[in-house]
Amino acid sequence: MSNTINGSDVRKVVIACDAGMGSSALLKTQLAQSLKPYGVTVEHTAVNAIPIDADVVVTQAGLAGRARKSAPDTPVVTFQMFLGDPAFTKLEAAIRDGADIDG
Amino acid sequence: MTTTDEPRPAFKERARASIQRFGGYLAAMVMPNIGAFLAFGLITALFIPTGWLPNESMAELVDPLIRFLLPLLIGYTGGTLVHGQRGGVVGSIATMGVIVASDSPMFLGAMVIGPLSALLMKLFDAAVQPKIRAGFEMLVNNFSAGILGGIMALFGLKVVGPVVAAITGGLGTGVAWLVDMRLIPLVSLIIEPAKVLFLNNAINHGVLSPLGVQSAEETGKAITFLFEANPGPGLGILLACWFFGPKISRATAPGAIIIHFFGGIHEIYFPYLLAQPKLILAAIAGGMTGVTVFMLTGAGLVGPASPGSIIAVLAVTPRGGFVPVVAGVIAAATVSFLVASLLLGFGRQARKEEQAKERESAET
Repeated sequence: MSNTINGSDVRKVVIACDAGMGSSALLKTQLAQSLKPYGVTVEHTAVNAIPIDADVVVTQAGLAGRARKSAPDTPVVTFQMFLGDPAFTKLEAAIRDGADIDG
Repeated sequence: MTTTDEPRPAFKERARASIQRFGGYLAAMVMPNIGAFLAFGLITALFIPTGWLPNESMAELVDPLIRFLLPLLIGYTGGTLVHGQRGGVVGSIATMGVIVASDSPMFLGAMVIGPLSALLMKLFDAAVQPKIRAGFEMLVNNFSAGILGGIMALFGLKVVGPVVAAITGGLGTGVAWLVDMRLIPLVSLIIEPAKVLFLNNAINHGVLSPLGVQSAEETGKAITFLFEANPGPGLGILLACWFFGPKISRATAPGAIIIHFFGGIHEIYFPYLLAQPKLILAAIAGGMTGVTVFMLTGAGLVGPASPGSIIAVLAVTPRGGFVPVVAGVIAAATVSFLVASLLLGFGRQARKEEQAKERESAET
């Protein structure tokens, strides 16, 4: 089971963490800045409450299983490190260049 | 994932996700209300007789805040999670039952009866609402919520309250016994590994906070608030990664230290441990050291520290309790730093790997 979206169609990125209050809020601040030029909004939520209009879900690898269950039809991009993970640069590049995002 | 037929996740992975989900659910009842917990903690630290500005009339706020406001918020939030506003209302009514049933704060009781009442309301609505005659919706909905809420309040008063009071009493006695027997540092064996599996909120807000509130009411402070929220072990590990970790850790650790220690987002150090699982020993050693110091010095907090930032920890430290709390945090950070540095070979391993990589790239 895999979902794909083209980077140029992404309008809303949702970052999910356990409570939707701590680490996801931290990443929201970072990603919102880097994705702003492409007209992409970034939100943060609890992993059990991912909104239906999310185009891409971003979550830590340890929470990926729950994220996929919570948003089965949305690509879920996972990362390991909260700071300086290549997944973030890759996501930004895909949105900038209109490349496919799988997850 | 590029594979088309994904293998079923291993049992361990599924078990972890289920525990996370259940724990996340418990935490989801508490965490949105942390602001109220902090207000309670600050008012307590300021105005109780042993506080900074003892004031009898203002201290009258303390008891109603913890006995009524906080459990009601938890019961309401738990109900809302299950069945929206209607669930929240029924959950709150029912929570009043468990509150009245006991003289001590009924956090666990609220966590049980809030969602349970909302679930019954949801089942009732699903069965009855389609059959209501047009024009009678409001009448039926209001009376069903009122009657079910009333019944659940009585049920809470007579059944859930006494049972949960016995259970929390038993757990509290258990913790007190472990402290008396000097065994309580062993909790770090469970807490530190569980944290790294992203069970930190579940443990702290699902188990430790409700227990702590109980003993904070009796003795003015609770050691259990410090078990998970202590930022010391994570600080030590991040420092070790900064000085002796692999290249990528060295670059990101300073920023992570600030976010962890001052921002209180412990999640930020978990990936460093997941990348090098042996470092979990450093977390456990640091955690046990911290708990030992807290235990020997009689440290405690008046309310839960959330997020687990040094600022939040100090804000709910009782007057005269700073030295024990700070000592425990520093001791935990020192020990986890030393153990982690040792496990990282004081940077030898990272240097070797980098040299190997350089040689590889030079050869190709």
